[in-house]
Amino acid sequence: MNALAIEAEGLVKQYRGRSGTVDAVRGVDLNVSAGEVFGFLGPNGAGKSTTVRMLTTLLSITSGTARVAGIDVAADPDAVRRRIGVALQEAGLDHRQTGRELIVLQARLFGSSAAEASARAQELLELVELTEDADRRVKGYSGGMKRRLDLASALVHRPEVLFLDEPTTGLDPASRLSVWDEVRRINQRGTTVFLTTQYLEEADQLCDRLAIIDGGRIVRAGTPSSLKKELRERLRLPGDAPDPTLDEVFLDATGRTRERVAGDVQEVTA
Amino acid sequence: MTALQQADLLGRRAVRESLRTPEALAPTLFIPVFFLVVNFGQAGEIFPSDSTPFLYGQTYAAFQLPSSLLLAASFGSAALYLVEDIEGGYFDKLRAAPVSRGALVLGRLLAEGLKTAVLTVALIIIALPFGVTIASGPAGFVLLLVLTSLWGIVFTGFMQLIALKTRSAAATNSGGLVFFPLLFLTPNFVPRDLLTRPMEIAATLNPVTYVMEALRSLILQDLQWDVLGRGFGVVAAFGALMLFLNVRMVRRYD
Repeated sequence: MNALAIEAEGLVKQYRGRSGTVDAVRGVDLNVSAGEVFGFLGPNGAGKSTTVRMLTTLLSITSGTARVAGIDVAADPDAVRRRIGVALQEAGLDHRQTGRELIVLQARLFGSSAAEASARAQELLELVELTEDADRRVKGYSGGMKRRLDLASALVHRPEVLFLDEPTTGLDPASRLSVWDEVRRINQRGTTVFLTTQYLEEADQLCDRLAIIDGGRIVRAGTPSSLKKELRERLRLPGDAPDPTLDEVFLDATGRTRERVAGDVQEVTA
Repeated sequence: MTALQQADLLGRRAVRESLRTPEALAPTLFIPVFFLVVNFGQAGEIFPSDSTPFLYGQTYAAFQLPSSLLLAASFGSAALYLVEDIEGGYFDKLRAAPVSRGALVLGRLLAEGLKTAVLTVALIIIALPFGVTIASGPAGFVLLLVLTSLWGIVFTGFMQLIALKTRSAAATNSGGLVFFPLLFLTPNFVPRDLLTRPMEIAATLNPVTYVMEALRSLILQDLQWDVLGRGFGVVAAFGALMLFLNVRMVRRYD
């Protein structure tokens, strides 16, 4: 495997519409090492999902280059697809199939024989603890179960790089913790994880390094601790003051302000 | 894994999808049967079988059956399932896998072809009590199934184009209504040479006419290779065009 699992240079995405050109991503540079969990944070509309969609071959790249698992995304998208797993913001599932059918089909599309696909489905259903519900139609699954099934279906071919786009959005706390456990387990098996999230606690808990994107540009990048340290030094906080949180790093990076209103209620304003 | 094997897997999945939504199949059968019964009921007495040369001794229901077959083949429900896949994110899941773009398109189309063949058999069975027989024999019956199924694939391909372009169920549904003017600009009620001149010109320009005439020839007469050639020629040409446009649309899908 290449030492860098993801490399992007000057990645740009423009949409042309009736009202003119919209710059969704304005020149993103990224370097993600093999084996790490990389967090990609940003407010709504910052360009997180657009970047992920370009890296996963789902969107054309307006300009710039991207290599995933050492392969140029634009030049050989099919080779990239063989090496990545993708679980997008909306759990991409077919609600009329059962969980098992869905994973078997996915495995077969990646080239497994019927027997291999069946065995792999069982293995993955056990991994995400869905064996009891495997033969029920996905339509009846809870939000957390759908997320776990989506994760499992992204792993059928043992991808080198796993892209997770806001995998816990809309989940209750218990389901969120369960997805975190899965992500850790997957990463421990050697898979590089590229995780977009709006939850700063999630990034703090899971990510080795992270980048914050705002207005289509990377505005901060580093380990969670280095980013906190950098902010502490820049704000010249006294030695006995608590370390800045990742929330504060995020707010500082994106130019938002936080005002404490009526005790613990926090308001974020642009 | 070849593109055809992938198309087969995706086609099987689309068949399962249809079988698990029988309520969506009901109108595809009911409406064509309704048209057959109503048209036969209204005009059956005007065109008695023993004194109407273009019926070749059969009832007017036999003359009307191709319209119902084409109608049943032109619901294009696969395109609506595709919109569901797009809206729910499953289409992106498939696009992010190393699946041939041709297979992504062809899987659903093959399943639609199979579904159309089953509907065709059901409609022919329903038409039997109305005095309909397949005059071209077993070979003609098979050709009838194949031609109707191929038309189902062509029209579903057209609706899939709308689905891929608009990503909207409402727009896709509305696009399907295009078939109604096409159906009524054919020799739907009488042969082409009995139409008024403007209608005859419109029917001659309408590709559906040639498919309908081919189907009708299989029901009413022995194998008429020239008529069949035109019918199969139309579905081959439009089928190739739809496949090309669908694959191009998926490749450029952003």
